Amino acid sequence: ISRTKAWALSALPPLISTMRYSNSPAQEQQTASQPEDKVHLTESCVKRLAEIMEKGEYLRIQVEGGGCSGFQYKFLVDKVKNDDDRVFEQNGVGVIVDQDSLDFVKGATLDFSQELIRSSFQVLKNPQADHGCSCGSSFSVKL
Amino acid sequence: VSRRKILPTRAALTLTPAAVNKIQILLQDRPEYIGLKVGVRTRGCNGLTYTLDYTKEKDKSDEEVLQDGVRVFIEKKAQLTLLGTEMDYVETKLSSEFVFNNPNIKGTCGCGESFNI
Repeated sequence: ISRTKAWALSALPPLISTMRYSNSPAQEQQTASQPEDKVHLTESCVKRLAEIMEKGEYLRIQVEGGGCSGFQYKFLVDKVKNDDDRVFEQNGVGVIVDQDSLDFVKGATLDFSQELIRSSFQVLKNPQADHGCSCGSSFSVKL
Repeated sequence: VSRRKILPTRAALTLTPAAVNKIQILLQDRPEYIGLKVGVRTRGCNGLTYTLDYTKEKDKSDEEVLQDGVRVFIEKKAQLTLLGTEMDYVETKLSSEFVFNNPNIKGTCGCGESFNI
Protein backbone atom coordinates (compact mmCIF):
# COMPACT_ATOMS: atom_id res chain seq x y z
CA ILE A 1 0.00 0.00 0.00
CA SER A 2 2.81 2.34 0.90
CA ARG A 3 4.08 4.26 -2.09
CA THR A 4 7.22 6.29 -1.92
CA LYS A 5 6.98 9.41 -3.96
CA ALA A 6 10.39 10.82 -3.42
CA TRP A 7 10.56 11.67 -7.07
CA ALA A 8 7.81 14.20 -6.48
CA LEU A 9 10.42 16.36 -4.80
CA SER A 10 12.06 17.13 -8.11
CA ALA A 11 8.74 17.68 -9.86
CA LEU A 12 7.73 20.58 -7.62
CA PRO A 13 7.80 24.20 -8.82
CA PRO A 14 10.89 26.32 -8.07
CA LEU A 15 11.31 27.56 -4.54
CA ILE A 16 10.01 30.96 -3.61
CA SER A 17 12.40 32.82 -1.39
CA THR A 18 10.03 35.36 0.11
CA MET A 19 10.13 35.86 3.82
CA ARG A 20 7.09 36.74 5.82
CA TYR A 21 6.74 37.23 9.54
CA SER A 22 3.55 37.73 11.46
CA ASN A 23 3.15 39.66 14.69
CA SER A 24 6.79 40.56 14.91
CA PRO A 25 7.18 44.24 14.02
CA ALA A 26 10.86 44.18 15.00
CA GLN A 27 11.55 41.87 12.11
CA GLU A 28 12.01 43.10 8.59
CA GLN A 29 8.68 43.01 6.81
CA GLN A 30 8.57 41.87 3.22
CA THR A 31 5.57 41.25 1.09
CA ALA A 32 4.86 37.67 0.17
CA SER A 33 4.28 36.86 -3.43
CA GLN A 34 1.96 34.05 -2.43
CA PRO A 35 -0.32 34.44 0.56
CA GLU A 36 -0.34 30.66 1.13
CA ASP A 37 3.40 30.40 1.34
CA LYS A 38 3.42 30.03 5.11
CA VAL A 39 2.35 27.77 7.93
CA HIS A 40 -0.53 28.94 10.09
CA LEU A 41 -0.52 28.33 13.82
CA THR A 42 -3.67 27.77 15.83
CA GLU A 43 -4.27 29.36 19.20
CA SER A 44 -3.76 26.08 21.06
CA CYS A 45 -0.49 25.51 19.20
CA VAL A 46 0.84 28.94 20.15
CA LYS A 47 -0.27 28.45 23.74
CA ARG A 48 1.38 25.06 24.04
CA LEU A 49 4.62 26.25 22.44
CA ALA A 50 4.75 29.13 24.89
CA GLU A 51 4.44 26.60 27.72
CA ILE A 52 7.10 24.12 26.66
CA MET A 53 9.68 26.10 24.74
CA GLU A 54 12.52 27.88 26.45
CA LYS A 55 14.08 31.01 25.08
CA GLY A 56 15.79 30.37 21.77
CA GLU A 57 14.00 27.09 21.15
CA TYR A 58 11.86 26.55 18.13
CA LEU A 59 9.60 23.80 16.89
CA ARG A 60 10.95 22.39 13.66
CA ILE A 61 8.64 20.68 11.18
CA GLN A 62 10.28 18.27 8.76
CA VAL A 63 8.71 16.29 6.00
CA GLU A 64 10.31 13.00 5.13
CA GLY A 65 9.48 9.92 3.12
CA GLY A 66 7.81 7.24 5.18
CA GLY A 67 4.57 6.24 6.81
CA CYS A 68 1.76 4.38 5.14
CA SER A 69 0.90 7.18 2.71
CA GLY A 70 4.34 8.08 1.39
CA PHE A 71 5.32 11.12 3.42
CA GLN A 72 5.26 11.89 7.08
CA TYR A 73 5.64 14.88 9.35
CA LYS A 74 8.33 14.98 11.96
CA PHE A 75 8.44 17.41 14.88
CA LEU A 76 11.64 18.37 16.68
CA VAL A 77 12.84 20.95 19.13
CA ASP A 78 15.64 22.96 17.57
CA LYS A 79 17.77 25.94 18.54
CA VAL A 80 19.65 26.35 15.29
CA LYS A 81 18.32 28.24 12.29
CA ASN A 82 19.92 27.26 9.01
CA ASP A 83 20.21 29.33 5.86
CA ASP A 84 17.36 27.61 4.07
CA ASP A 85 15.00 27.79 7.04
CA ARG A 86 11.85 29.82 7.21
CA VAL A 87 10.66 31.00 10.62
CA PHE A 88 7.03 31.67 11.39
CA GLU A 89 6.63 33.63 14.59
CA GLN A 90 3.51 34.45 16.50
CA ASN A 91 3.14 35.89 20.02
CA GLY A 92 6.75 35.16 20.87
CA VAL A 93 6.89 31.55 19.74
CA GLY A 94 8.46 30.33 16.55
CA VAL A 95 8.14 27.43 14.16
CA ILE A 96 10.96 26.57 11.76
CA VAL A 97 10.35 24.89 8.43
CA ASP A 98 13.14 24.23 5.98
CA GLN A 99 12.47 25.26 2.42
CA ASP A 100 12.23 21.71 1.06
CA SER A 101 9.70 20.72 3.70
CA LEU A 102 7.78 23.96 3.27
CA ASP A 103 6.86 22.94 -0.27
CA PHE A 104 4.91 20.08 1.28
CA VAL A 105 3.24 22.00 4.09
CA LYS A 106 2.69 25.54 2.81
CA GLY A 107 -0.79 26.80 3.54
CA ALA A 108 -1.30 24.17 6.21
CA THR A 109 -2.26 24.81 9.81
CA LEU A 110 -0.27 23.55 12.76
CA ASP A 111 -2.40 22.60 15.73
CA PHE A 112 -1.83 21.14 19.16
CA SER A 113 -4.60 18.63 19.64
CA GLN A 114 -5.49 17.50 23.12
CA GLU A 115 -7.41 14.31 23.56
CA LEU A 116 -7.59 11.86 26.40
CA ILE A 117 -5.64 9.20 24.55
CA ARG A 118 -3.00 11.55 23.15
CA SER A 119 -1.89 15.15 23.00
CA SER A 120 0.37 16.08 20.15
CA PHE A 121 1.17 18.58 17.44
CA GLN A 122 -0.62 17.92 14.18
CA VAL A 123 -0.62 19.40 10.72
CA LEU A 124 -4.18 20.16 9.71
CA LYS A 125 -5.77 21.30 6.47
CA ASN A 126 -2.65 20.80 4.38
CA PRO A 127 -3.52 21.93 0.86
CA GLN A 128 -0.57 19.94 -0.50
CA ALA A 129 -1.78 16.65 0.97
CA ASP A 130 -4.10 14.43 -0.98
CA HIS A 131 -5.22 11.98 1.66
CA GLY A 132 -3.61 10.96 4.84
CA CYS A 133 -3.45 8.27 7.41
CA SER A 134 -6.01 8.34 10.21
CA CYS A 135 -3.43 9.57 12.66
CA GLY A 136 -2.56 12.53 10.45
CA SER A 137 1.17 11.93 10.64
CA SER A 138 1.45 10.42 7.18
CA PHE A 139 0.10 11.76 3.92
CA SER A 140 0.39 11.56 0.16
CA VAL A 141 0.85 14.61 -2.04
CA LYS A 142 -1.42 16.06 -4.69
CA LEU A 143 0.17 15.88 -8.09
CA VAL B 1 -18.35 -35.84 42.64
CA SER B 2 -16.74 -33.00 40.88
CA ARG B 3 -13.49 -31.60 42.00
CA ARG B 4 -13.16 -27.90 42.21
CA LYS B 5 -10.93 -26.70 39.48
CA ILE B 6 -8.59 -23.82 40.10
CA LEU B 7 -8.14 -21.87 36.96
CA PRO B 8 -5.41 -19.38 36.46
CA THR B 9 -6.67 -15.88 35.81
CA ARG B 10 -4.71 -12.97 34.54
CA ALA B 11 -5.68 -9.37 34.23
CA ALA B 12 -6.73 -8.67 30.67
CA LEU B 13 -4.84 -5.44 30.77
CA THR B 14 -1.88 -4.35 32.86
CA LEU B 15 -1.01 -0.77 33.58
CA THR B 16 2.48 0.61 33.92
CA PRO B 17 3.20 2.90 36.90
CA ALA B 18 3.24 5.87 34.52
CA ALA B 19 -0.23 4.99 33.24
CA VAL B 20 -1.59 4.49 36.77
CA ASN B 21 -0.17 7.81 37.84
CA LYS B 22 -1.64 9.69 34.87
CA ILE B 23 -5.06 8.10 35.25
CA GLN B 24 -5.08 9.03 38.93
CA ILE B 25 -4.30 12.63 38.06
CA LEU B 26 -6.96 12.69 35.35
CA LEU B 27 -9.66 11.27 37.63
CA GLN B 28 -8.77 13.43 40.62
CA ASP B 29 -10.32 16.49 39.01
CA ARG B 30 -13.30 14.57 37.71
CA PRO B 31 -15.01 12.84 40.63
CA GLU B 32 -18.11 12.12 38.55
CA TYR B 33 -16.21 9.49 36.58
CA ILE B 34 -15.27 6.10 38.00
CA GLY B 35 -12.60 5.20 35.50
CA LEU B 36 -11.52 5.02 31.90
CA LYS B 37 -12.94 2.84 29.18
CA VAL B 38 -10.77 1.29 26.50
CA GLY B 39 -12.24 0.20 23.22
CA VAL B 40 -11.30 -0.50 19.65
CA ARG B 41 -12.80 0.99 16.56
CA THR B 42 -12.45 0.18 12.87
CA ARG B 43 -10.38 3.03 11.56
CA GLY B 44 -7.03 3.80 10.02
CA CYS B 45 -4.90 2.19 7.38
CA ASN B 46 -4.30 -0.98 9.34
CA GLY B 47 -7.84 -1.77 10.36
CA LEU B 48 -8.25 -0.95 14.03
CA THR B 49 -7.50 1.85 16.44
CA TYR B 50 -7.81 2.24 20.20
CA THR B 51 -10.32 4.52 21.84
CA LEU B 52 -10.16 5.90 25.34
CA ASP B 53 -12.94 7.68 27.20
CA TYR B 54 -14.02 8.59 30.68
CA THR B 55 -16.80 6.42 32.00
CA LYS B 56 -19.45 7.00 34.64
CA GLU B 57 -20.60 3.41 35.01
CA LYS B 58 -19.60 -0.16 34.30
CA ASP B 59 -21.59 -1.74 31.49
CA LYS B 60 -22.73 -5.31 31.97
CA SER B 61 -20.40 -6.69 29.35
CA ASP B 62 -17.36 -4.64 30.35
CA GLU B 63 -14.31 -6.33 31.77
CA GLU B 64 -13.06 -4.48 34.81
CA VAL B 65 -9.38 -4.13 35.55
CA LEU B 66 -8.51 -2.80 38.97
CA GLN B 67 -4.89 -2.03 39.53
CA ASP B 68 -3.28 0.18 42.14
CA GLY B 69 -6.56 1.88 42.87
CA VAL B 70 -7.47 2.87 39.33
CA ARG B 71 -10.21 1.25 37.34
CA VAL B 72 -10.08 0.64 33.62
CA PHE B 73 -12.96 -0.97 31.76
CA ILE B 74 -12.60 -2.88 28.53
CA GLU B 75 -15.44 -2.90 26.07
CA LYS B 76 -16.74 -6.30 25.07
CA LYS B 77 -15.63 -5.86 21.50
CA ALA B 78 -12.08 -5.06 22.58
CA GLN B 79 -11.61 -7.82 25.16
CA LEU B 80 -10.09 -10.42 22.86
CA THR B 81 -8.05 -7.86 21.01
CA LEU B 82 -6.54 -6.40 24.15
CA LEU B 83 -5.85 -9.61 26.08
CA GLY B 84 -2.39 -9.39 27.62
CA THR B 85 -1.83 -5.80 26.60
CA GLU B 86 0.22 -3.39 28.64
CA MET B 87 -1.07 0.15 28.81
CA ASP B 88 1.65 2.74 29.18
CA TYR B 89 1.74 6.51 29.31
CA VAL B 90 4.57 8.18 27.44
CA GLU B 91 5.25 11.86 27.86
CA THR B 92 7.78 13.83 25.84
CA LYS B 93 8.23 17.54 25.38
CA LEU B 94 6.22 17.57 22.17
CA SER B 95 3.59 14.94 22.84
CA SER B 96 2.00 12.83 25.52
CA GLU B 97 0.01 9.70 24.87
CA PHE B 98 -1.30 6.43 26.18
CA VAL B 99 0.47 3.59 24.38
CA PHE B 100 -0.82 0.04 24.15
CA ASN B 101 1.84 -2.67 23.93
CA ASN B 102 -0.27 -5.41 22.50
CA PRO B 103 1.25 -8.88 21.99
CA ASN B 104 -1.58 -9.93 19.66
CA ILE B 105 -1.01 -7.53 16.83
CA LYS B 106 0.49 -8.53 13.52
CA GLY B 107 1.18 -5.14 12.06
CA THR B 108 0.95 -1.46 12.76
CA CYS B 109 0.82 1.74 10.85
CA GLY B 110 3.84 4.03 10.81
CA CYS B 111 2.37 6.30 13.43
CA GLY B 112 1.46 3.41 15.71
CA GLU B 113 -2.16 4.42 16.01
CA SER B 114 -3.62 1.85 13.66
CA PHE B 115 -3.02 -1.90 13.85
CA ASN B 116 -4.30 -5.31 12.78
CA ILE B 117 -4.47 -8.62 14.59
